[in-house]
Amino acid sequence: MITQEGVVTTATPGTPVASQAPVLFEMEKIGKKFGAFAALEGVDVSFRAGEVHCLLGENGAGKSTLCNLIFGVHQPTAGEMRLDGAPYRATGPRDALTRHIAMVHQHFSLINELSVIDNLLLGQRFGRLDRKAQAEKIAALASGYGLELSPFALVGELSVGQRQRVEIVKCLMQAPRLLILDEPTAVLLPDEIQSLLRVCRQVAESGCGVVMVTHKLAEIEQVADRVTVLRGGRIVRQSDRPSEEMNALVQAMIQRPGAESDVSAVLGAGSLRPRNRPPPEIAQQEAMQLDDIALVDGLGVRRLDGVTLSVQRGEIVGIAGVEGNGQSELGAILAGLESPTGGRWFAGERELTSASPRLITRSGVGIVPEDRHRVGAIDRLSVADNLFLNRMHEFSRFGLIDRKRQRAAAEAAIARFDVRTQGSQVTFASLSGGNQQKAVLARELTTPDLKFLLAAQPTRGLDIGAIEAVYEAIREAADRGVGVLLISSELDELIAVADRIVVFYRGRIVGERPANPEHRDTIGALMSGGTRQSENAQ
Amino acid sequence: MTDTSLHKSGFLWSQVARDNIGIVVPVVSVLAAFSIGMIAIVAMGVPLGDALLAFWKGAFGSAYAISASLNRAVVLGLVGIGFVITMRAGLTNVGGEGQIAIGGMTATAFCLLPGMETLPLGLSFILPMLAGAFAGGLWGAIAGVLKVRSGTNEVISTLLLSFIAIWLLYWSVQSENLLRQPMTSSATLPESLSIPAATQVPLLTGSYASPVTWGLPIMVVLALLVALILSRSLFGFRLGAVGHNPVASARAGIPVGLTITLALFIGGALGGLAGALMLQGEQYSLKAGFSSGYGFDGLVVGLLARGSVVGVIAGALLFGFMRSGGISMEMIATVPSALVGIIQGIIVVMIAGAAYYLDRETTR
Repeated sequence: MITQEGVVTTATPGTPVASQAPVLFEMEKIGKKFGAFAALEGVDVSFRAGEVHCLLGENGAGKSTLCNLIFGVHQPTAGEMRLDGAPYRATGPRDALTRHIAMVHQHFSLINELSVIDNLLLGQRFGRLDRKAQAEKIAALASGYGLELSPFALVGELSVGQRQRVEIVKCLMQAPRLLILDEPTAVLLPDEIQSLLRVCRQVAESGCGVVMVTHKLAEIEQVADRVTVLRGGRIVRQSDRPSEEMNALVQAMIQRPGAESDVSAVLGAGSLRPRNRPPPEIAQQEAMQLDDIALVDGLGVRRLDGVTLSVQRGEIVGIAGVEGNGQSELGAILAGLESPTGGRWFAGERELTSASPRLITRSGVGIVPEDRHRVGAIDRLSVADNLFLNRMHEFSRFGLIDRKRQRAAAEAAIARFDVRTQGSQVTFASLSGGNQQKAVLARELTTPDLKFLLAAQPTRGLDIGAIEAVYEAIREAADRGVGVLLISSELDELIAVADRIVVFYRGRIVGERPANPEHRDTIGALMSGGTRQSENAQ
Repeated sequence: MTDTSLHKSGFLWSQVARDNIGIVVPVVSVLAAFSIGMIAIVAMGVPLGDALLAFWKGAFGSAYAISASLNRAVVLGLVGIGFVITMRAGLTNVGGEGQIAIGGMTATAFCLLPGMETLPLGLSFILPMLAGAFAGGLWGAIAGVLKVRSGTNEVISTLLLSFIAIWLLYWSVQSENLLRQPMTSSATLPESLSIPAATQVPLLTGSYASPVTWGLPIMVVLALLVALILSRSLFGFRLGAVGHNPVASARAGIPVGLTITLALFIGGALGGLAGALMLQGEQYSLKAGFSSGYGFDGLVVGLLARGSVVGVIAGALLFGFMRSGGISMEMIATVPSALVGIIQGIIVVMIAGAAYYLDRETTR
């Protein structure tokens, strides 16, 4: 529905001075628990009319939860929210919309088979559909914000950027006072990102408050009036002059809470054994080689671009980068779950581009995937079954599994890798996160003739003791001559564990540094894409 | 005081119930469904005693009645075992009806092949049975290939393939170029010739007074075999892995597509075998209304068993005897046999509801 008001506000010119704009929406001591897990804790933040307020943070930092609380998808378990100073509690998205709070989700809710105008009018409860008149009205509203629409095109035929525009217009039709965008740029091409940021600016200038979730720093620099950095469900930094404080924001985002740049303190890495590198005749062999790997996804977005990298035997190479810069895609390619659209990769002498997971395992490649529950293990099977998920045939004779032998082997592996479990026959799901990860590592590290190991986010969600055990096992494997590629969003851990670090930004390797605490700031800057130009110029 | 003791005994009862939930739920459901059925009979004005007597006679009243019930149970059991296998791979095969039709049709064609009745060593009835099973398997595998290749939901594809199969069967008994017997007069029925005696599945007792066929021991052996495969074999392990998490299975090098297709092949083959047994052990000639719902009843048996082969056998026996009893009740006591369908429906709803409720309890 287009209210007259909505059209009028678009015409209102002028930029309110940021810090003096009235507070539109406040959250005070907000907490949200899912079961025992605290997704948000003690969050104090206020959003002002006429401002673009960016929420910055890694995956799992609580950004999306925060948005969902405002939009009424979830209810806070502690604290108070206020709209215009009056207590606010939305029972659901529909309720939030009636208060003129709108949200653009990461995943679009459009019907591909319908035209743009039909999608926009869907659920608006018109008696008679006068598509043409409505289309003109909506197009006028949209162009007021610099959004061009072709109302009668089929949504299925639009590009991702165009579809997102439709989603935004759908929100603008509600004449929002607060517009929330959850990672709007994650799916966009660079020039689409630019026009989206312009739209955000214009929406804010019309007097609406804009909340944008992102972990891309370049965008913040361009568009944000204010920035709130979340980490582990808490606010770790706020800034009302973000473009002047970019470095500090990066640090806040990637640093463990309370930790300084003293790396060994971060991990207890002082307690990690020193490396005991394999002899040079082994270390000079290549364990793994990526040659110009590229991946363009189904929507035409370039996820990986010209990634060339090699890992020697006995070497630990870390991939640093803010999440969503192509690390997951690289992991899927190495696991054999995705084929690159360009380039080739090898383990030792053998080319494994587009090889099946089975062949990859047989070639001596171990994979610790970033998603334990979806890819790494089968939660409802036993620990023993998960320890040999890819090698069950070793225990089978005439098609029957020798359960006794499997059990004995499982118990040996459980003892060797110190998996704390109530036996080998309990379900994998009953283990703690750390022990699940140890079990997955145990399986992959015992891959016959192991040459190369990919460990993607191996310490995510683990406590400090388990983190140590995981890295201890990885280093021990490297000392045996296994080449390791370690993907992590924890820069401090990479510095503590890896030999050298390459930085991913927008699917490309934008720099490489030795894993040394003195390069921490440079690596942080590379992760934010900040010094990309100068890096290229070198 | 009374309050607490009531609460206590209620608690105790629920504790006992919880420990034996796998038995308590079906028994309570069956008893409750039968009670509701009896209320319905009384409400219709039929003397309850007459109806129950008729039911008893039809189900257990004579050697013939018991044999007929057992033969029905064999068909339901085979379809149910097939359902359990596909279920293990996370698939729902609702195409039993069509797989039975394809199996029956193929068995008929093989039985009527010239020379089939002269084969030695019982091959004259074994070969058509195997052919029926294989054809049913291929029919099931089509759904597997569709699922692997283009992600077609197997519930939809197996169901639609059933319709195709049922109408293929109809066509085959309408056309003389296919399986219809030669038309000698305008009164010739649209059905196949009777199959030769040598191609019929032999009776266990050898007497038509108690016509249990060799289908019964075949079903029991297959059930044991399937139980062994599911619990002990590499293939059974892979079925479960794919059923729980296809992505992790693929990463572990398990051939996910092949496993899915094989599961549906085996499910279809058991349906096809059921169809062959119905034809070669009971009906002896192919008619348009060949299967009349065994595929769907078998599916319900499989569903109720919740993955257990023993459960399938128990369910198959229950439904087999109920079907016989229901038919007799209609003939003798004029209670519509649809009542049996209603009772079956109530059992399903109660067990499914209990399953839903219990799953919710345990995940809480």
